[in-house]
Amino acid sequence: MNITRRTLLAAASAVALLAQPMIAQAQDLPRNMRLVIGSKSTGGDTYQASAMVADALSEKLGINIKVDAVGSSEAFKVLSRDKRGTTIMMFHDQAYLGHLYGVTGYDDIFANYNIGPTVAINPGNAYLVPADSPYQSMDDILQAAADGTRVRVAIQPGGVSEIGFSAMKNAAKVMNPGSEENIVAVNTGSQSDKNQAMWDDLADVINGSIQGNEQFTQLPADDEKAMRFVWITARPETLEQAPEAGMGGTSRDEMLKHASPETSVTLDGNEDFTFDKEFFMLFNKDMDPAISEAIDAALTEIYDAGDIQTRQKEAFFIPNFLPSDEAKAHLQAKRDTYGKVIEQISQGN
Amino acid sequence: MLEIITPLFLSLIVGGTLVGIIFGAIPGMTATMAVAVCLPLTYSLGLENGLALLLGLYVGGISGGLVPAILLGIPGTPSSITTTFDGYPMAQRGEGEKALRIGIVSSFVGGIISLIVLWLFAPTLADFAIKFSYVEKFLIIFFAMTVMAALSSDMLMGVFSGVLGVFVSLIGTYDISNGGNGELRLIPPGTEYWLESGFSLLPVLIGLFGLAAILEQAEIGVPKGHSAKDLQVGPKSTFSFAIIARNTFNLIRSSLIGTFVGILPGVGGSAASIIAYTNAKTFSKTPENFGKGEPAGIVASESGNNGLTGGALVPLLSLGIPGDSTTALLIGAFTLQGIQVGPLFIGNNPVTWDAMIVAMLIANVAMFVMMYFAIRYFALVVTIPKHILFPVILMMCVIGAYTINYGIMFDVWTLLIFGVFGWLAGKIGIEIAPFIIGFILGPSAEVYFVKSLESFGDLTIFFTKSWIAVVLWLLIVGSVAGSVLMARKQRRMSE
Repeated sequence: MNITRRTLLAAASAVALLAQPMIAQAQDLPRNMRLVIGSKSTGGDTYQASAMVADALSEKLGINIKVDAVGSSEAFKVLSRDKRGTTIMMFHDQAYLGHLYGVTGYDDIFANYNIGPTVAINPGNAYLVPADSPYQSMDDILQAAADGTRVRVAIQPGGVSEIGFSAMKNAAKVMNPGSEENIVAVNTGSQSDKNQAMWDDLADVINGSIQGNEQFTQLPADDEKAMRFVWITARPETLEQAPEAGMGGTSRDEMLKHASPETSVTLDGNEDFTFDKEFFMLFNKDMDPAISEAIDAALTEIYDAGDIQTRQKEAFFIPNFLPSDEAKAHLQAKRDTYGKVIEQISQGN
Repeated sequence: MLEIITPLFLSLIVGGTLVGIIFGAIPGMTATMAVAVCLPLTYSLGLENGLALLLGLYVGGISGGLVPAILLGIPGTPSSITTTFDGYPMAQRGEGEKALRIGIVSSFVGGIISLIVLWLFAPTLADFAIKFSYVEKFLIIFFAMTVMAALSSDMLMGVFSGVLGVFVSLIGTYDISNGGNGELRLIPPGTEYWLESGFSLLPVLIGLFGLAAILEQAEIGVPKGHSAKDLQVGPKSTFSFAIIARNTFNLIRSSLIGTFVGILPGVGGSAASIIAYTNAKTFSKTPENFGKGEPAGIVASESGNNGLTGGALVPLLSLGIPGDSTTALLIGAFTLQGIQVGPLFIGNNPVTWDAMIVAMLIANVAMFVMMYFAIRYFALVVTIPKHILFPVILMMCVIGAYTINYGIMFDVWTLLIFGVFGWLAGKIGIEIAPFIIGFILGPSAEVYFVKSLESFGDLTIFFTKSWIAVVLWLLIVGSVAGSVLMARKQRRMSE
């Protein structure tokens, strides 16, 4: 009995010693933390990416982290108010794209907040055409615009959904100046609205996603709902990390055929435009740096352990942890690139 | 198939249904919240067991809303708004238990009919649903709006109240996620910070129906120890299945309307019960009794909103598009398990599909058994002394308002503002029922109206788009004509 007790005590001491660095870090952290997200949906990709990270961080740091789907407007407001570190935020590229497109409620995140670590990529952003469309590829679409045909693209304006559309216009302008006027936006809302715009023949191309639209690409060509991918905006190195089986009836190799370099939408005549939807944290500008350092350190250990990557890949996310400093430089570079695209197509309009 | 039905599977459905009923019965808590709270649990439960829990919560949450709607006059969920119109007057005249039983039986039948439709016709109906463009969706919303006229005691003031509700619902940003331009509108200068996102539906709803009623009672005065002894819940209010039998056609029609509205993405769950109620009143031989405690009104409302449960799963499982806010969360449960939902879902996942049908069936039966036989205990709420009951309701309303959007304090202010507005409205002739219907339907009406014009050019499209549009216009004209004729008849009778 004594031996058992001693053994147990020794085991407990060993665990305490091993856990000491993390507990020391956790002592700088609030016991209860709220992770607000820039989406009101608890079924969407922002919530899922956030919930996985929040679970792992809670366990690692020994604190409570609750994900609250308050939406971008409220999330930015509450983050601005809370300097104590009890509120942090998770969002994706919409956070700076909204500002670039001048959407109400979006300030410059790089000036007003501290950028936290990136955690994952949703590689699914895509553009589709009806199965019986005359356009077989992005080249066909850009050529049609060059030939004077009006190409209607259904998007949700002001962010992630629009950036690929802006890139199409930019590519048209680079290849055949003036032809970008023939690529026109059909402003819609949800994915349902974009699909419906295609079925109502209001749009020739729609923005969608691998996750949401892939099954429509597997329907028989004579089904009025059938679609085809023409462009997946993710970087090839991102897609290469997706499961080999891909998703549904579309393998990873088939996805790569619709992405750069095989499907090229030029950025400047030399490089291709690509877009990964990346999820990252945002912190209050005046929050104690020790808190963000503790989060960075904990996430480094979590990603080194590797379990979270498995969970993310099961939900078709690509793990992409970058600590805060690297994340900031990376996201600023993306922002600058996309800012130039938007500026480029605005000139002369 | 049988291997899915394990004790755990069954307990999750029954437990989920019970928790859902509790969420639905608390003003400010909804089926959507119940599903959102339990969604993370599904990861560890596996897909079929996880769906069993979530579908139980969904069915229970939609059904539980009838309890406060009937007993307290506060809709537990937005989809039970029309249940208050006849349920609460029945409770006030001592027929609370009878009203509850009518509501529960109607909910059960609505749920089962929609489940049968889902099981037999899901892919076919999804193909039909995509025939509904912005134009047809606007006309459906417009048809639902015609109930404003039917619900008004003074038609002019009623329509004015409804239009005011639409106006108030549009305050805030014209949201880009709905296809808007992201611009602020109808906001007084200096209030942009608070009104940027407009007023949330749930706080407005419980403010108008919960807080306003408490303020009215406070104005009259509640004697200490008063226990509403005149509100008999027992023998005086005997329920008989003959009431349901007399409403068979209404029950089936309303269930099918609820199912059909659920099939159309973006039309909204509240519209289902409103349209079912409008139809029941239009086709009733005694439309003048609606709003005064007419059992047919409860039958229409409750079978309509539970009809939605199966209907909303049709576009989810056949197109990958949720039919309402709660089924939108179910997509998260599928994605967490790496399952795609879309046009191939049913064919590719027959076991999951069967599990969902079985779970929905058991959830409906569990809901019926739990609610029908526990009714006496629910109904006792009206015997609680008001000086105890009202502070508890007030506290629940505040907590519900604060939690509905995950902790936004402005939602509590919204509750208070609309509570006071609801209290004052009655004094100046503004009618709350048309106001709230305008508020609920306004945002969808705006989006679909604007998008119709943006997409198709001019107003003639509303008449020429399709044969569906023509049928909807006939229903609209019939509903408005019915309301006008009824108003004239009532005026002649009063003269």
